[in-house]
Amino acid sequence: MYHFDWLVFFKYIWPPTALQDPLIRNGLIVTVAVSVIAQALGVVLGLFAALGKMSKFVVFRWISEIYIWYFRGTPLLVQMSLLFFGLGVTHIYDFPDLKFGALVITGAIQAGTLALGINEGAYMAEIVRAGIESIDAGQMEAAKSLGMTFGLAMQRIVLPQAAKVIIPPLGNEFNNMMKTTSLMVVISAGELFFGFEQVNARIFKPFELFIAASLYYLALTTVWSFIQARIESGLGERKGIERGPGMMQRLFSGSSGKGVR
Amino acid sequence: MITPNVKLADSNIIVKAEKVNKYFGSLHVLKDIDIEVRKNEVVVIIGPSGSGKSTFLRCINHLEKINSGHIYVNGHMIGYHDQNGKLVEDSERNIARQRAEIGMVFQRFNLFPHLTAIENIIEAPTRVRKTPADQARADGERLLARVGLADKRDQYPNQLSGGQQQRVAIARALAMKPSLMLFDEPTSALDPEMIGEVLDVMKELAHEMTMVVVSHEMGFARAAANRIVFVDEGQIIEQASPEEFFANPHSDRTRLFLSQILH
Repeated sequence: MYHFDWLVFFKYIWPPTALQDPLIRNGLIVTVAVSVIAQALGVVLGLFAALGKMSKFVVFRWISEIYIWYFRGTPLLVQMSLLFFGLGVTHIYDFPDLKFGALVITGAIQAGTLALGINEGAYMAEIVRAGIESIDAGQMEAAKSLGMTFGLAMQRIVLPQAAKVIIPPLGNEFNNMMKTTSLMVVISAGELFFGFEQVNARIFKPFELFIAASLYYLALTTVWSFIQARIESGLGERKGIERGPGMMQRLFSGSSGKGVR
Repeated sequence: MITPNVKLADSNIIVKAEKVNKYFGSLHVLKDIDIEVRKNEVVVIIGPSGSGKSTFLRCINHLEKINSGHIYVNGHMIGYHDQNGKLVEDSERNIARQRAEIGMVFQRFNLFPHLTAIENIIEAPTRVRKTPADQARADGERLLARVGLADKRDQYPNQLSGGQQQRVAIARALAMKPSLMLFDEPTSALDPEMIGEVLDVMKELAHEMTMVVVSHEMGFARAAANRIVFVDEGQIIEQASPEEFFANPHSDRTRLFLSQILH
């Protein structure tokens, strides 16, 4: 019979005690910060890739197509390893630590964030494109007939409307992103799962510790679901779009659960 | 700046089309269209659906590309320039600059749903013409008053009726102070009781603007047009003053069309 170590379990699920361990505390900070930055990078890259895909210039279309094809068609784990270890060993880029006063951003965090963001961009591209294409072509025509260039019309007329279509799936992407940061464990980037791994290496209680780890991710995604519901209902009230699914449905419908990319 | 490839001698000619041809795939939708519109003239283009009249209108501000021929607006070729005898499509910026001088009103209004009535109107003046916001707003409010919607200034399009939306769309086009207004079936998407309010605004406008109107509204054509152009199967069949056109149509196709719509 396995002896379940309740002491370890409670120490590591109860935030005030768990966060006393710098591995967990820093891990949580890294996970949240990397998620936000990588998602933001993904949105920007996705926007450019979507516009590139719709461009009249064949070069831009090809660059976007190849980018999306490669990063959706290969595992994120491999992309991340290639970026960090591959570029490191060739000295193309060594990912030196960046220091901002007391704040140190390690090379592994940089590489992990970059890999997550670039990978996410390939997925966001499709979401952004679908958002843009959902807007009636008459909007672009009306903007053009008023003397706007394509870029201005996109920025002022089409994208603000497409944003309403893009934001709900974007929220789901961010939910996935927080979970996917755990892949950074392979490059020892010091995120939340890495923290639990390190504690486990010290005391070897994988059952207790990894349950605790899973509950931290569950807490993050649940808090985010509430924030997302607030954002979407705010959008709906202002601009008359459809209401998103309710909170209970959002948590228990299981429609957005995706595996490792 | 726009380089005038061919400066028309007569500055009173606002639109000049020469041998304009357009295909959609293998479908020949415009066949050697020749037309001139003079300053302050109101030209109403009529014809059966699918005759190419809307397509021609959309070619005037280069929302549609033409396959051959030339269209000049205010003396400047639209959408293309001559490069060693070959027509090359203009830069986006030049096309945009030319379009800023041409107002367009669409069948389905195409108001920007995320902007209020006044924001719809001042968007292009402030962003394209760089008019200071307070001046654009003052101008916009005057235009809203002119189309009878001063009290709808802060309403979103989905809070307005179809007729009100179309009047805002007319004000939006006028805000750029265009030298030419194009109307693409402006009342076709409206409920019957709202057609009058839009036509009234257009009739008012007809006294002072150069307008090309694609419409099925024969009452409007009779009252406001200087000339009616009948288009069928991509060709101009005949054109005449409304009195002449309705009283004495020359071609059989015109007579057939008129008998169908006038009962």
